[in-house]
Amino acid sequence: MFAPLAPQGRAAVALLVAVLLILPLVWHDTYALHLIILSMIFGAFAVAWNFTTGYAGLKTFGHHAFFGIGAYFSALISKNLEISPWLTTPAAGLVAAAAGLVVALPVLRIRSVPHVAMVTLGFAEIVRVLLTVFRETTRGEMGLWGIPAYDGFTIPGLGEIAFNAAEKVPYYYLAAFLFLGSVYAVVRMVKSPIGLALVAIRDSQDAAESLGISLTRYKLLAFSTSAFMVGLLGAFYAHYILLLTPSSVLGLDLMIYIIGITLIGGVGTLFGPIIGAFVLTIGIEAMRGIGEYRMLIYGALIIVVVMFMPRGLVALLDRLGPRMGFGRGVALATSDDAAKAG
Amino acid sequence: MTAERDEILRVEGLGIRFGGLVAVNDVAFTVRRGEVFGLLGPNGAGKTTLFNLIAGALRPTSGRIWFEGRDVTRLGPDRRSRRGIARTFQITQPFAELTVEENVMAAALVRHRSLAEMRAAAGPFVEMVGLAHKRHALAKELSTGQRKRLELARAMATGPRLLLLDEVTGGVDQASIPGLIDLVARLRAEGMTLILVEHNMRVIMRLSDRMMFLNRGEKLAEGPPDAIAAHPDVVGLYLGAAHA
Repeated sequence: MFAPLAPQGRAAVALLVAVLLILPLVWHDTYALHLIILSMIFGAFAVAWNFTTGYAGLKTFGHHAFFGIGAYFSALISKNLEISPWLTTPAAGLVAAAAGLVVALPVLRIRSVPHVAMVTLGFAEIVRVLLTVFRETTRGEMGLWGIPAYDGFTIPGLGEIAFNAAEKVPYYYLAAFLFLGSVYAVVRMVKSPIGLALVAIRDSQDAAESLGISLTRYKLLAFSTSAFMVGLLGAFYAHYILLLTPSSVLGLDLMIYIIGITLIGGVGTLFGPIIGAFVLTIGIEAMRGIGEYRMLIYGALIIVVVMFMPRGLVALLDRLGPRMGFGRGVALATSDDAAKAG
Repeated sequence: MTAERDEILRVEGLGIRFGGLVAVNDVAFTVRRGEVFGLLGPNGAGKTTLFNLIAGALRPTSGRIWFEGRDVTRLGPDRRSRRGIARTFQITQPFAELTVEENVMAAALVRHRSLAEMRAAAGPFVEMVGLAHKRHALAKELSTGQRKRLELARAMATGPRLLLLDEVTGGVDQASIPGLIDLVARLRAEGMTLILVEHNMRVIMRLSDRMMFLNRGEKLAEGPPDAIAAHPDVVGLYLGAAHA
């Protein structure tokens, strides 16, 4: 799990990153870029959720609260106080991280998985209801609009970079920065003593604690860093889509979508959630032609993967693992396997 | 004066109740540095509960615990581990998805900064318990006997001055028992202070310097192994039942 990638694995990752970064320069299909932007945002969201759930073993079902908090905070502050979204976006990450600490405190005292799920889900519902009720400020389900886009700027040699609905490329690169940054941060943490402590806590809290590992410290760390990332992503989403409703950024279906992405890709793996995000986001759009039936296929896909590939699509990559040198670092088995073995 | 300096653990008036059930009641004893202290008692006597109280996994409802002269009664298990109290679990608690080496590295986490240092620190303990050939095996792939060895390696890798061993031979196949006993005997020879809980009467009699006999959460007797074995309550409650 802590071994670095073999040269072939590194080369594969470098190639994928290069393709991701070159793509908008050669492919000018606005709609396709939009789908990839959404895939990156939801992919990073799933990576962050998987960090707390798959690695730290804190089964939270309320992470959409941090997405919504980040989105509404950045949108409202930039709109009402006329502060640049470039400043309100990182601030939104910090606010979400602070909210993460608040939720983590009761979670620290609970060891039962269903109870953690209920507390976090309840927290997200409270945030959603509050945003719906304070409609003088948030406009509730009528939708918050008039959210400022990111300010344009000039890069010498490249010219004016403008953020507007017609021009997807600047958003694409900003999303790629957030996506690659989140993945990099999580990979670095997982492959460090932090990852060792988190997986130890996931596999046996009692044993981890008996070895001197502070559950409080690591759980707070996992929760707040993950919430920070999701808050940033929410803020980006607000300044990208430019229209927010409590149900779009705080609805339970968003959380279910992220869980679906992670399950299909592979829980507790580094690359699973990324694969899941691209497969689901682009796959669902590709099936747009068949209307509501696509949700049926989406549901069927989750059932098939969960039943027949409990480790997710990433298990396919794992077969290439020895050859690619990914090994267990890619498809670190899920805690379900641990339960079976136990 | 020397008696006090030699004392590593002091327990006074220790008790815990779960609702109406008194699991441990008013237990007092001391353990000296370098001594092997055995806990004996029938099922449900409160041995594991007492263990959890000393390790900090449970908070007592009454009484105090001193370790190396300092009151640790209110400290959690992680802080007691950092003070120098280590333990194994009766039902082994391996980090299933980590390798044997990574399991032991987790025990070195608190005292080292980098994974490389933790790996270096873990090595000797993996070898000490005879799992060097299983270094890269996942913990979930180990047999029960090997898991018990892993527990020992992990506990030792925290650098303890007091080690609590809960049923080292419990649930292990007959063939693995002598090897485990040898390991404990070696720790004892190296001067490690041990508190043992052991179901196997012969094993605990052989390893212990001093023993305490518990029944229904209360201390019935304390003394050298042969005195405990000859104690009428022990004969009646434990040996009597075992030989019946």
